[in-house]
Parts: sequence; structure tokens; C-alpha cells
Amino acid sequence: MKILIVDDSTTMRRIIKNLLIKSGYSDILEAGDGQEALEVLEGNTDVGLILTDWNMPRMTGIDFVKKVRGDERFGRVPIIMVTTNTSKVEIIQAIGAGVNNYIAKPFTPGTIKDKIEQTLKQMAS
Amino acid sequence: MRAEYINPFVAALENFCEMMLDCKVERGKLKLANSALEIEHPEVDQAFAKYDITALIGLSGKARGTVALLFPAKTALMITRRFLETDKIFKIDDTVIDAVAEMVNIVAGSAKRQLSDELGLIKLSLPTVVRGRNFEIKYPTGSVWLQIPFNSTLGPFFMQVSFEKIDE
Repeated sequence: MKILIVDDSTTMRRIIKNLLIKSGYSDILEAGDGQEALEVLEGNTDVGLILTDWNMPRMTGIDFVKKVRGDERFGRVPIIMVTTNTSKVEIIQAIGAGVNNYIAKPFTPGTIKDKIEQTLKQMAS
Repeated sequence: MRAEYINPFVAALENFCEMMLDCKVERGKLKLANSALEIEHPEVDQAFAKYDITALIGLSGKARGTVALLFPAKTALMITRRFLETDKIFKIDDTVIDAVAEMVNIVAGSAKRQLSDELGLIKLSLPTVVRGRNFEIKYPTGSVWLQIPFNSTLGPFFMQVSFEKIDE
């Protein structure tokens, strides 16, 4: 399964990528903001999961999620928001935009694996 | 600035170090400062005070302020190595700069979560990193900074916070 990581921090992309590899995922794509992520998706319409940050330059994660959900090709792709924006108001906003699950930064290594499994299970049922 | 406003930032920093760096931190004595880089802790020796890298992030919305993390170069290197689980970082480069930027982003973001639930929605700017020692940050005008030195297994560093609730 192809997984797309969207984060303007190369550090965070590298950490998440390493955790995904340790969890057995190997087909991993990266983008540094929402705009770049849309371009990556154009060439990879078979992406099976998206992990995205919220605060990014050019196009924020929330705007990216809205664009993805507005494209029928990606309407069912699970999206997990990995962010520090975890106040109640922000979580409600993210869910409204189409996010399926939420990971608060900072996180432990096990959190990424657990949330992915939980999200994929929910989407399959 | 009310002193208790710094508590969520201290808790966020300790939580970040434990969860993402597997590192225990020991906090020093809280002190007031007039600018972000006025470091005059009596218990801090000169080597400690030789910060080389400052990661900053702004707060806006229902509160305004700035969070700054100040690191000696060696501490920044050690933190980046632990953050990325690698020993192959030997100098201050873009990787280190990005790592400390993400650290201040996560620390401020975690504190923001608690403060937003209390005060209303607070927003974060994108982080900025400054290298070198010969500069001073005084924004916002007239603001008071609270500074706390930390010691850790990865080296010493400082956190400084300026935070004011916006009354409507």
C-alpha cells in the first residue's frame, strides 16, 4: 500500500517514514506542503493512506484535505492528521473537512502504528 | 505575563523530551527577563549560556507571545541525533535547523492545546531559527519574558516564553 506523508518538516517526515518502515510499510511518498501533495497524488492515484500535518506554508493541511475530499478519485482514501493543532475547536474543524483520525504531536512510536491500523480497520468495515 | 502561563510550556517540553527523545530534563530556576536573550541566571555558568541556535515560534489569536528555545550547538546536535535516531550528524546543518524548528513547534503546539481550551483558540506561526549569538529579540514591545534553564542527558538548553492573554 502506498502511503503519502505530508509535512513541511523534513525531520518529522523522516521520523514518520522510519516508523512506517519499522511497521512493515515500504512504499512511502513524501510532500512538503499541501500543494506539493496534490501534485504527488496526480501521479499516484493509487495512494492508500495519507498522513498530513496541518500548519504548512503554501497550502495548509486542512485546505489539502478539503481538496482531496473534493476529488472523487480520493474521496475514500483514509486521512490521518498528525499535528499539534489538537484543541477541541480544531479537531471538530478537521473532522468536518474529512479527516478520519488524529495523531497529536508529540507521539510515541507505537501511536503511529496503532492509529494506522485502527483507521484502516474502520475504513474497511 | 502571569507566571502560571509558563506551566503548560514547561509540561509540554518535558513531555516532548520524554516521548520523542527518551530524555529526562531537569529544570532550573524561573527568572524574569526584558528580552528574549537576556540570560543572567546566577546558577548558570558561562558555558551554559553560550547558546548558538534559537528556535522561535509566535502565538496569536486569544493570546499573543513568542516561545524561544535556545541551544548550545552541541546540545542541538545531540537532540537532532536522538530525534532522528542517527549518529551521522556532525555539524549544524539544515537537518539540525529543521529538527529544532520542529521541536519548538511541537512544544508550543502542545501548550497551545491546553491554553486554547482555557482561553479560546490560539494560533501558531511557522517556526523560525536564528543562528549566532549577537542579536536581541524584544518583540512584542514591552513584553516580559520568563526564562527557565534546563539540563538534560543531551545537554543544557533554555526555554523563554512571552505570553499575554488578549482581553476583548
